[in-house]
Amino acid sequence: MDNGIKQKQILQAKVKRRELCLAMLLTGPYIVIFLVFGLLPAVLGIAFSFMKYNPYSPAGNEFIGFKNFANLFNADMNISRTFWESFSTMLAFDFVAVPLLIAIPLFLAYHINMRPPGYKIFRAIIYLPNVVSVSIMGIIFGNMFASNSSGLVNSWFGTDIKWLSGTPWKNDILRWLVILIASIWWQTGTNFVIFSGALRNVPKSLYEACEMDGGSKSRCFAKVTLPNIKSSVTICLFNTLIGYLGLYGQTVTLNDLTNNNLLVSPMMFIQNYLMGGTVYASQTGYFCACAVIFGLIVIFFSTIERICTADRRRKTNYTEKCKKYMADKNFLREAGLPEEGKIFIPDERGGL
Amino acid sequence: MNMKKPKKRQLTKSEYETRKNRIKSFVVLFVASVFFAFPLLYMLGTSFKSPADLQLHPERIFPSHGEWTLEHYEGFLWREGQVDNMPFWIFNSLWSSFASVVLTVLIDLITAYAVVFLKFRFKKIFIKFLYVWMAVPGILGTVPSFAMYVAGANSMELTGALRYVYIYMWMIVPGTTGIFNLILMKNFFESIPADIVESARSDGAKNRTIFRRIVIPLAKSTIMLIVLFTFVGSWNNLIFPQLILFGEDTRWSTVTVSLIGFTGGSGWGMVGVSMATSVFTLIPIIIIFIFTQNRMIDAIATTGIKM
Repeated sequence: MDNGIKQKQILQAKVKRRELCLAMLLTGPYIVIFLVFGLLPAVLGIAFSFMKYNPYSPAGNEFIGFKNFANLFNADMNISRTFWESFSTMLAFDFVAVPLLIAIPLFLAYHINMRPPGYKIFRAIIYLPNVVSVSIMGIIFGNMFASNSSGLVNSWFGTDIKWLSGTPWKNDILRWLVILIASIWWQTGTNFVIFSGALRNVPKSLYEACEMDGGSKSRCFAKVTLPNIKSSVTICLFNTLIGYLGLYGQTVTLNDLTNNNLLVSPMMFIQNYLMGGTVYASQTGYFCACAVIFGLIVIFFSTIERICTADRRRKTNYTEKCKKYMADKNFLREAGLPEEGKIFIPDERGGL
Repeated sequence: MNMKKPKKRQLTKSEYETRKNRIKSFVVLFVASVFFAFPLLYMLGTSFKSPADLQLHPERIFPSHGEWTLEHYEGFLWREGQVDNMPFWIFNSLWSSFASVVLTVLIDLITAYAVVFLKFRFKKIFIKFLYVWMAVPGILGTVPSFAMYVAGANSMELTGALRYVYIYMWMIVPGTTGIFNLILMKNFFESIPADIVESARSDGAKNRTIFRRIVIPLAKSTIMLIVLFTFVGSWNNLIFPQLILFGEDTRWSTVTVSLIGFTGGSGWGMVGVSMATSVFTLIPIIIIFIFTQNRMIDAIATTGIKM
C-alpha cells in the first residue's frame, strides 16, 4: 500500500517536472527576447539618464546624478526649451485628435453594422488607407495641400494659402488641421474594424428590449451599445493614446521647406538628435533623461485612462437579492430539505 | 376572370424603420468612402500626368485630354544598366514584414499556450508584470537600443551581407514581443472551454496534439487579427529603422524609410515621380490586401477583442 502511494507521488513529481520543462521551453523565446530587447534597454535608459554617457567613447562615462534632469528643467537652456515646446504642441494636438479617432471610427462602425447594401465594399475602402505607409500618406497629403497654387486644394479654390508652413503656437493652425485630416484618413481603419466586431456581438434582443421600453435612439446607444462595447473602447483608447503621445510620422512627413527642421513632438526631438550620430553622442545621457520624463508623462496619462475606464462593480439591489436567493437555495439543499415552495422568492412584495 | 395583381404587403412599422435606417447608413458610408478613397485616386491619377499637365492643371485629379503618360514610372525596375533601388526596397519591406508576422504569431502562440494550459510557478507574476509593463512606452528604450545596436555593430565589425542581416535582426526581433498581441492571444485561449482540453487530455492526447488539433484551429481569427496588425505595423515601422538605416547602403532601405525623402519640404518639385513611386510601392501590399481583406476583416469582426 505504502509503496503504491510513494510510486504515485514520484510519478506526479515527474509529470510536474516535465510540465515545468515544457513551460520553460515554450515561454523561453518570449522571455529572452523581452529581456534583451524590451527590459534591458529601458533599464539602461534609466541608468544613462543619471550619467554623462557617450556610446562612441566609453572612457568618459561617469555618474552625474540628477544633473541631466536639472538641465532639462532649466528654462535658460535652448535645447530644454525646444523639448518642452515640442511637448506642448504634441499634447494640444492629442487633445483634439484622440477623441476624434475614437468617435469617427465608432460612428462609421455603427453605420456599417446597419448592413446597408454593399457594406463589404465600404468596409474595405474605409480600411484601405490603413495599409498605406506613413510616407506615402505624407506624399499624398503634402501635394494635396501644397503651399503654392500647384496644390490641389489651393487650385480648386483659386487661393494661395500656405497650408503647411508656420511655427508652433504662432501661425501653424492650418498645418495641424492638415495633420488631423491626414491622421483621420490614415488611422481610422484599425479602430473601425475593432468597433464593428464589437458592435456585431451586441445581442439584438437588448436593442429590442430598449425599444420596447420606449427608449429613444440616443438613449439606447448610451444604455445598451456603449456598456456592451466598453472593453473594445478601452483597448482602442489605450492604443490610440499611446500611439499619439508618440506622434512622429505625421509631423515628419507633413511640413514645408520653411519649417521642416522644427521639432514639434518629443519623439521627433529625440529622433532628430539620435540621427545626428556622433555629433550629439556626448549628450546621450541628456536625451535619455528626456525619454524618461516623457515616459513618465505617458505612464501618467495611460494610468488615468486605465482608472477612468476600469470596471466599477456597483452592487445593485437586484444582484444582492439574487445572491441571497442562491444562498438560501444552497442552504436548503445542504440541510436536506425539499427546495420547492420553501424558499424565499425575491420579488417586490418580499412574500414567500 | 380578372386576376388581381398580388398586392404588395404593407410594411410593418419596424421594417419601415429598418429600411429607413439602412438607407441613411448607405448615404453616410458613401460619403465617408469618397473621403477615404479620394486621396488614393488622386495619387493614382497624378502619377500618370505629364509634367506640362502637372503645371497647367493642378486642379484635375486625372490627366486632361487623355494625355496619360508612363514617364514617371520609367526606370523603376531597370535604370542605367542595372537593377533599380525600388525592387530592393519593396523586397526588403516585404520579407521583413513577413518575417515579423511569422515570428510574432509563433511566439505568441507557444507562450500563450504555456501560460494558459500548463501549470508552472511564476505564471501569475509573469502575466501581472506584462500588464504593468504595457504602460511603459517604447521610447524609454529607444536611445539605449540604438546605443546597443551601435555597440554591437562596432564590436563585431560586420560588413556586407552580415551587416544587412544584423540590421534586419534589429528591425524584426524586438517587435515580436508586443505585449498587446500576447494578451489578446492569452485571453482568447482562456475563453476556450476547459472541458474540451480536459477531455482531450483524458483521452490521452499529448500537449503537442492539443496544440495542433484543438487550440490552433480555434484560434484562427485571433491569429488573423495579430497577422493584420503586425503586418501593418511592421510595414509602417519608421522610427527605429530610420535610425539604424541612416547612412547605410540605399539598397538596404525599406519602402517607408526611403520614401520619407519625397515628403514635406524635401519633396518639393517632384510631384510626378513621388506619386509614381508611391503607386509602385503600394502595388504588392494592395494585391495582398485585395485577396485577404474580406476574410480577415470578417474574422476580426466575428471574434472581437477581449481584454
